[in-house]
Amino acid sequence: MADVRLNIAGRTYDLTCADGEEPQLQKLAGLIDEKVRAIPGSTEVRQLLFAALMLADEAQEAKAKVDRSEPQSDSLRAAVALAESRETQARDELAAARREIEALKAAPPPAVAAAPRTTHDRALLQIADRIEALAAKVEQSA
Amino acid sequence: MELDLDESSLAIGRIERALSRIEKSLAERAERGASVQPTSDQSALKAEVNAVIGELDRLIAEANRG
Repeated sequence: MADVRLNIAGRTYDLTCADGEEPQLQKLAGLIDEKVRAIPGSTEVRQLLFAALMLADEAQEAKAKVDRSEPQSDSLRAAVALAESRETQARDELAAARREIEALKAAPPPAVAAAPRTTHDRALLQIADRIEALAAKVEQSA
Repeated sequence: MELDLDESSLAIGRIERALSRIEKSLAERAERGASVQPTSDQSALKAEVNAVIGELDRLIAEANRG
């Protein structure tokens, strides 16, 4: 434990606090002393009362400000989460596209000879059959 | 028009040779003085020629359309 001496409104207060907390207590005592000195010409108790009221008011105001900013923080957090999700999705899509490109590069070129016959090819073959049959008939009749 | 060149070239070669055979037969018949055929055979032959020409026209039109 540590001993600390605070000066508030011209009076000295000797306190005991946890080790290392002395600077923080000194700082808080300074804030109270500053408020007290802003309220001159009254009894010490009333000065301390007003200082406490002013500090409570400031604390309430600060809390209200934090409460007001929370929804905005939630929106920002949601926006960040959405952006992160989209980034992940974009990375996945990019990786998939890269894999597809690599697969296409690795795949052998399509065999032209193995391509299925088109309708026109089949029609040409059928016409060839029919004209040959026609030629045979003409030759027989000649 | 996407063609298998080997197949289509083969088919066109067959068509050209068959047409030459028809042309040659008709020329020989004309030289001999056009012997008269039975009417039913002539009609069947004409119908077959018309069908083949129709099929060729359809194929050419399809090829032009791409």
